[in-house]
Amino acid sequence: MISLQNIEKVYRTNTVETLALNSISLNIAKGEFLSIMGPSGCGKSTLLNIMGLLDAPSKGNIKIADQTTDKLNDKQLANFRNQKLGFIFQSYHLINDLAVLDNVELPLLYRSSVSAKERRQLATEALEKVGLANRVKHFPNQLSGGQKQRVAIARAIVGRPEIILADEPTGNLDSAMGNEIMDILMKLNQNDGTTIVMVTHDENMAHKTHRLVRLFDGSQVQ
Amino acid sequence: MFKHLFKLIWNKKKQNFLLMSEILFSFLVLFAVFTLLVYYYNNYKKPMGFEYQNVWVISYNNSFKTTNTDSLDTYYETLSQNLRALPGVKEISYCSDNVPFLQNTWQGGANYKGMQVGGVNQYTVDDTYDRTMTTQLLEGRWFNKADIVAKNQPIIISSDLKEKFFGTGQAVGKLIGDGDQPGHDKKLMKVIGVIQGIKAKGDYAPAGYAVYHRTDTGSYRSLGKIVVRVNEGATAAFEARLYKTMANYMKNSNVEIEHLTNKRVDANYFTLVPMIVLIIVGGFLIINVALGLFGVLWYNINKRRGEIGLRRAVGATGSSVSWQLIAESMILATLSLILGTFFAVQMPLLNVFDLAAGIYLVAMAVAIIFIYLLVFLCSLYPGKQAAAIYPAVALHEE
Repeated sequence: MISLQNIEKVYRTNTVETLALNSISLNIAKGEFLSIMGPSGCGKSTLLNIMGLLDAPSKGNIKIADQTTDKLNDKQLANFRNQKLGFIFQSYHLINDLAVLDNVELPLLYRSSVSAKERRQLATEALEKVGLANRVKHFPNQLSGGQKQRVAIARAIVGRPEIILADEPTGNLDSAMGNEIMDILMKLNQNDGTTIVMVTHDENMAHKTHRLVRLFDGSQVQ
Repeated sequence: MFKHLFKLIWNKKKQNFLLMSEILFSFLVLFAVFTLLVYYYNNYKKPMGFEYQNVWVISYNNSFKTTNTDSLDTYYETLSQNLRALPGVKEISYCSDNVPFLQNTWQGGANYKGMQVGGVNQYTVDDTYDRTMTTQLLEGRWFNKADIVAKNQPIIISSDLKEKFFGTGQAVGKLIGDGDQPGHDKKLMKVIGVIQGIKAKGDYAPAGYAVYHRTDTGSYRSLGKIVVRVNEGATAAFEARLYKTMANYMKNSNVEIEHLTNKRVDANYFTLVPMIVLIIVGGFLIINVALGLFGVLWYNINKRRGEIGLRRAVGATGSSVSWQLIAESMILATLSLILGTFFAVQMPLLNVFDLAAGIYLVAMAVAIIFIYLLVFLCSLYPGKQAAAIYPAVALHEE
């Protein structure tokens, strides 16, 4: 499902050159639940951003869902992200001025083929899946951290993507809430066959996934 | 997407209130400025009504003291013959002090069949005024000697007054009252001609309503101006000779000669100066509004980097993010303009300042276009900046 070959990422300023990722090669199968661990600054989020086509590698090839992505232009990349990928972030990234339902609908707004009625229906279904059907009219600042992350998950799955990229989804939550979120992700993986790549600092969460990849100083060590 | 943006704006109504107020206020100021400009332009487009080039005005004070009207008539008739005899004088005419472009005004009322108007300029002129000023006769005829025995005082009216009273119908032969209220007329005057209205206050002022009365026996006492049409290229030496002729004839009288070409420039200053001041003030205001809008939009974009990053992550292209921000500004402008138009439309509805509705409507349309253009231009660069935000960086910053 995701194939990374010799990925390198170098950040350059006028005076400093920082190697964030060093020759990472990784194959993630369809339906796999993979976690990435490593200390802060080891390149976990950079790797996830590259997988999510939010950042481009300095070197190497990426293939996602049988599609080579290095030649795609901005519009094609945006379309690809919209159709194939779902994102979950540690800080939720909900739009505070929009109600829960509108937040969840957001990815579908960029799909011209989906009508307003369908958007509403799909968003409601996604919220039902994460157990927040009764919170559709609430605003993010009226929700707890766990509820916010569930809204973020609903937003990630509303477009039925094949891949979900989660950047420390439980990082801001207590263990009970974190387990709830993890359960939802595992259900999505098991029931819908969604491929999930999760960056985490939490060993317990990481051990619940199919495979664990460890990074250190930009290199893969496990 | 429109509904989504509207929802976003509505939910941020408190934050957007100041920006909307700023747009509303600038629209109202622009509407006022454009109303004035359209009004002046409309007046400017209209004909002057006479040829002011090579027309000089001689001001004098009546120094010939006599109670005998015949002597008075002879005195002024001789003067006019002396002036006409000067080489370089084409025509002369005695008239009341309110010569076009001079700051003298004499106004009264007029009424016709229950319809009354005020602010009607009253001119007293003689039989050669039309030739001296080269007025444009639209209907009927100018005064002549036979008018002295007319039953009703003959008058000539301006095209604007004719339109007000008679529309497209004929005016000649109709009787007009001289009172502000019907039934209070001292006399009924008969229209014998209609001339193109004269823009007596300069190029940018309206011609307005006017009634021309013929000088009658003894009215020379109240007149103080002679308009003289001179040959093209009349020199200072000729002006000196003209002055000498007048001064020699009218002993103990203050004589002054002015050129209507110069007086027109002075008259235009009276209109142009406040207009220029208003344009400068309006210009400064627009610059302030533009900078304010630009600043607010830029600030908003910096505040919304996380949201922009998220939108990019879920499928928005750089250009769609840019257009979304521009569209948001345009929606805000639209909401302000709806409110602004509501206020602006009251001007023609309530007939404030007695201007034609068309002037307000054109000014409104121009102000709306101007505001949209201003908002568009002010949001273009911040929008472009938003499009250039790198999603991975923006999401990481949050």
